[in-house]
Amino acid sequence: MQSVSERVEPQTAEDASLALREAGSAGMTVSLDRPGGDLVLSTARLNRVLEHEATDLTCVVEPGIRLSELDAVLARHGQRLALDPPGDPTVGECINEAMSGPRRHLFGAVRDLILGVTVVLADGTIASSGGKVVKNVAGYDLAKLFCGAQGTLGLVVRAAFRLHPRPETISTFAVDLARPRDARPLLTALTTLNLPLGALDLLWPGRLIGLVEGSARVAQAQLDAAAQALGARQVDNDAWERSSERQRQAAGVVAFAPSDLAEVLQSEPMALIRPSLGVAYVERPIDSPQSPGLLHLQGRIREQFDPGRVLVG
Amino acid sequence: MTRGARELCDAAVAALGRDAVVSEPEQLRTYECDGLTGTRVVPALVILASSAQHVQEAVRLCNTHDVPFVARGAGTGLSGGALPVADGVVISLQRMNRILEIDLESERVVVEPGVTNLAVTQAVAGHGYYYAPDPSSQQVCTIGGNVAENSGGAHCLKYGFTVNHVTGLDVVMPDATLVQLGGKSLHTSGPDLLGVFIGSEGTLGIATQITLRILRKPDSVRTLLAGFDSVDGAGEAVSDVIAAGVLASAMEIMDRLTLEAAEAAVSAGYPSVEALLLVELDGTSDQVEEETGRVLEIFERLDASEVRIAQSDVERALFWRGRKAAFAAMGRVSPNYYVQDGVVPRSKLPVVLRRIGELSQEHGLRVGNVFHAGDGNLHPLVLYDASIPGDLAKAERLAEEILVACVEAGGALTGEHGIGTDKACSMPLMFSKDDLAVMARLRRAFDPDGRANPGKLLPTPRLCGEVPGPYREHPLEKAGRAERF
Repeated sequence: MQSVSERVEPQTAEDASLALREAGSAGMTVSLDRPGGDLVLSTARLNRVLEHEATDLTCVVEPGIRLSELDAVLARHGQRLALDPPGDPTVGECINEAMSGPRRHLFGAVRDLILGVTVVLADGTIASSGGKVVKNVAGYDLAKLFCGAQGTLGLVVRAAFRLHPRPETISTFAVDLARPRDARPLLTALTTLNLPLGALDLLWPGRLIGLVEGSARVAQAQLDAAAQALGARQVDNDAWERSSERQRQAAGVVAFAPSDLAEVLQSEPMALIRPSLGVAYVERPIDSPQSPGLLHLQGRIREQFDPGRVLVG
Repeated sequence: MTRGARELCDAAVAALGRDAVVSEPEQLRTYECDGLTGTRVVPALVILASSAQHVQEAVRLCNTHDVPFVARGAGTGLSGGALPVADGVVISLQRMNRILEIDLESERVVVEPGVTNLAVTQAVAGHGYYYAPDPSSQQVCTIGGNVAENSGGAHCLKYGFTVNHVTGLDVVMPDATLVQLGGKSLHTSGPDLLGVFIGSEGTLGIATQITLRILRKPDSVRTLLAGFDSVDGAGEAVSDVIAAGVLASAMEIMDRLTLEAAEAAVSAGYPSVEALLLVELDGTSDQVEEETGRVLEIFERLDASEVRIAQSDVERALFWRGRKAAFAAMGRVSPNYYVQDGVVPRSKLPVVLRRIGELSQEHGLRVGNVFHAGDGNLHPLVLYDASIPGDLAKAERLAEEILVACVEAGGALTGEHGIGTDKACSMPLMFSKDDLAVMARLRRAFDPDGRANPGKLLPTPRLCGEVPGPYREHPLEKAGRAERF
């Protein structure tokens, strides 16, 4: 029978630091926001918006806040964090798992929107990197290091993000696409149109959907252009929910050079594809082994950040 | 030449050929500094690498002979990031200047590190594409250097920095092994080491192959100029444009001093005003039309004078020419100048600019202000005369105090020029001992022996004294009303 883990819900960086130090000296393992360790360190109560500087288009938040909760705060000033992964994860989960959604096409992933972090390492050290200004190259960018680190390097207790204005309108167009060989000509035609789309997803097989955001007049002009050149039709915005659902249910990710799209379509009977990113979410697990050199480097970083292997990923 | 240096030189010649090794004192002096010309160190040896294998071989030699190495592109950096280490090797990447692949369907270009920034755009412009990061030195600076410094430019307000446009890197690690980070796909797993490497100022390894994302040239670009009675007024316009939800691709401010210098240098036709705001909008023609309307409304509401819209590409280039030449133009109004690079939250621009004005008075030195206003990146130009004893020291002190003001306002030590040697000792102004210790852990993971560009980015006792300058608590932090980043 598995022993029951202890659970701690720190409210400050200092509390988290103390909990980690004590766990370490007691020889306990710790898992962050997930089961697995002797101690589970939860960010449930580290969930505040610390700053929202609307005129600077930046915010500083704690990791336990959910994207929907943060969005409600930012919406009051007509702003948003342009991060739309499936479900309603916490900011901390977005960072740990390097999450992204359809809008990565235009706005990038968490790593592109994060400006700074404060982290607590396994030995209790509290450290910050980056800042809360949109432009900053002082020192190493630990925020990026923690994007995708899956809680193996420390606990993020605070993060700053750049924000974007909320668009006046959001609309969606769709173009049918069923044959692999039609994909490239369609994408080329779309590229030629040069529409600043917020997102572009291929729900394969079936259709390519584009997200148009902006003022009503500008958005309509883009929809018209897509209709005229590609035979696109406007569809309900809930198309993006289906896209999210497919991403959430995917068991594997295929990484590909965007020019190899046709080959991916040939080999994948069903997938959610972000063509500009070279990413396909598929239903089968994908084994993508990392190079020994990269694994070695990751191991050395972990050794530096958590030499006692207190944290379980 | 010391015996050690002689042995190193012989080994380098044996491994890479005479043609790839620079060892004559006269020639070595060419490499003694980068764009931060006040600090100079002659290296023991320069290796002119032509391939990743050459770079690996050079690093291996440094390891065998236990000497540090410094990677160098065009040497245009402004923070001493490519400053040699005495007894060390400079690995020059300028011969690695091939564009390896243009993959238009993927919208990616694969280059060697010595390719210049502008060459990438030139290579794809015919197909309607461009490479977005555009540092002012783009005609000569190299992509490898851009990666090391995470270079920005005037248009990063909308399009981001180098880190947002590099999708893959081949890196020669300090142990001479080759590691690939990312590729043409944006999918990676594990910690974002690509993001960590970009901007690490040559301290984590040497990039030998770089995959870049290229963007479609926008259909429509419009550049507007407006004059204001004060820099504050121009700053207010910037805030209002942002508040109106307009994401301009660039917003630049020049004050009277820089304007006059720029005008004298390139005759851009700038109006004679206290502050000039340059706004660039791009996108579809409808979008640009609409945003232009909003910006003009703001200009009108704030009583801007001399509002102009570039009527042609030629005029647009002219508007920009003055801005891009602003630094160099300072040579016309002052024998010497020091370019500072600090960042403040946009909303704090007026406060910090006022402070810079006070500091200028206190020290009795003129300060020209030219900045990327949209992202709060200031480039105060501190004017001094090196022939006057003590003037340089005064200028350095003034520049440092400007940084303190930036950090106290919640900003950063550098927005795009990097820490290098120039600001390594200033790092404690912004980061605590623990912050710096954790950064040092990251560095050790990549470079346990400390051979990659030592003395850069992090303060060292040798460089800064045993006790580096104090970290000062922000007043709000002291009062418990805000926490540090």
